[in-house]
Amino acid sequence: MSTSTVAQPGPRSAGPAHSSNARTASPGPGPSFFRVLNSEFIKFRTLLSTLILLAATAVVMVGFGALSAWGTGQFADAAGSDPQAAEALAAQGGDLAVTVPTSGIAFAQLILGSLGVLLMSSEFTTGMARSTFAAVPKRIPAFVAKLAVVMVSAFILTAVSTYVAGLVAVPILDNYGLKLDLASSQSIKLLLVNSAYVAAVAAIGMALGTLVRNSAGGIMSLVGLFFVAPIAFQLIPGDFFVEARKYLPGNTLTPLTAVEHVPDTLEVWQAGLVLGAWVVVPLALATILLKIRDV
Amino acid sequence: MIEAQGLTKVYGDKTAVGGVDFTVQAGRVTGFLGPNGAGKSTTMRMIMGLDRPTAGTVTVNGVPFARHVAPLREIGALLDAKAVHTSRSAYNHLLAMAATHSIPKKRVHEVIEMTGLADVARKKVKGFSLGMGQRLGIAAALLGDPQTIILDEPVNGLDPEGVVWVRNLVKFLASEGRTVFLSSHLMSEMALTADHLIVIGRGKIIADAPIKDIITGKGQTRTRVRTDQPDQLMNVLAGTGVSVEVQDHELLEVKGLDPRQIARAALDSRVMIYELTPLQASLEEAYMELTKDEVEYHSLITTGVPVPVQSGGN
Repeated sequence: MSTSTVAQPGPRSAGPAHSSNARTASPGPGPSFFRVLNSEFIKFRTLLSTLILLAATAVVMVGFGALSAWGTGQFADAAGSDPQAAEALAAQGGDLAVTVPTSGIAFAQLILGSLGVLLMSSEFTTGMARSTFAAVPKRIPAFVAKLAVVMVSAFILTAVSTYVAGLVAVPILDNYGLKLDLASSQSIKLLLVNSAYVAAVAAIGMALGTLVRNSAGGIMSLVGLFFVAPIAFQLIPGDFFVEARKYLPGNTLTPLTAVEHVPDTLEVWQAGLVLGAWVVVPLALATILLKIRDV
Repeated sequence: MIEAQGLTKVYGDKTAVGGVDFTVQAGRVTGFLGPNGAGKSTTMRMIMGLDRPTAGTVTVNGVPFARHVAPLREIGALLDAKAVHTSRSAYNHLLAMAATHSIPKKRVHEVIEMTGLADVARKKVKGFSLGMGQRLGIAAALLGDPQTIILDEPVNGLDPEGVVWVRNLVKFLASEGRTVFLSSHLMSEMALTADHLIVIGRGKIIADAPIKDIITGKGQTRTRVRTDQPDQLMNVLAGTGVSVEVQDHELLEVKGLDPRQIARAALDSRVMIYELTPLQASLEEAYMELTKDEVEYHSLITTGVPVPVQSGGN
């Protein structure tokens, strides 16, 4: 180890004991991306409120799947005698059952979008950000790591609870003579697209939380964007709002999941691009501001 | 070593830190003293790269904080008692911090033991007292075994035992050759802990000197004299630059002469003196003298003498 140990036999050198004065240039490992990712995952799983929101999402998804299976069954029964209901059924391509597992998606996006807001805004409201960014002074890796944790968790949770909702719905639908094949290509497409959509909403939530740095403000912005704006745009007269309404992030899900094109919505490729822009633009803005603002 | 050059932070039309230059040397405890709003915390946040300087630079061991390969292993900081998500346990907070630098769990347990948090480490930080919050902040600062330690008001809210612990800890860390920079508005504490003082007021450095020099430096030496002939002694001592104050019947306080000169004058004029005590200015007095024009918020006590709010009784 050392060149001055000639007189000392044996492999163990008599190097000086650790002294804080004699530090080498590299004091030890620093914040690599995977270490920061690990840290963000620890932060994610050690907050009870986060786990409660995740559990609530699963419960709501499965619960709505079951409720919707029952409602759809009733509806299909009625369709046998009611010509109006039969017409509505036909308009849906005759397959209502396939959308049953994802019927709770509006609530999943609200809860997981809010979670995205909270995980970022709470960094600032609690002062945790000072610890986070003292450990990762470049800041962006911590943000990207948190984004990855949030999006992957939102995707997996939505996918798993959609599947479980499907498993619960199958026997209920069966009672009404409706078939739900969870392995059909449309079922799989719905599961994947909805999960990706919820992950995208969570990402938008994180961007809002970073920009607003305030939990209530962030969640209100999210609700405004996904729940208030679509209704407001519908109420305001004028072609502009009819057209603009299609471009709201919440209105991209219908074209992305429909079997056939639904009137007054974007084409699939347009919807994909618009949703992508809704994710990328706020995130880019959030990243830039996070880098330049004081913590 | 921490070096600031022309370090400036302006918020709107308010200058929090106005172009300060200072160096915090390794191997000693450097105190950072100043009234409320003087710019202490802002300066510390700029050192940690959390606030961006409006102008100037600050480096730690020659490199800006953010450019260090392993920041937590270079600099540990307690900037705020609760820079913690209060719904997380102390252990999990430290674990998440440690994970960013692959600091082993063993070290997390070590700093928990070291700071006396073992009994509460698994509890949510929400329920912590201010003192426990401070201990957690210090634990986080020590996590990476850093060469440079920055502590903003570390004894705030600590019980007497905790205060002594912090005092011994920072002295020990400095004796190991580390750079220790701590702020406090408790001057008695500073006098006991710091080797060197940087005094800041209204964003400007007012003094940067060893603590001994600050105490003896600006205030004149004073001597307490007891004599049975005060009037006669006063006449003898009178002269330029000398002020004598009658404090009691036979008790005088003399400024501007040292005890030897007073004794010589008394002997020459055959005035008996029966006490001759050199008085050392307290750090508090020296600090008041230094900062009397620099405090941001004055409060008036009944005599009309301005005193800083933080130490005043009003």
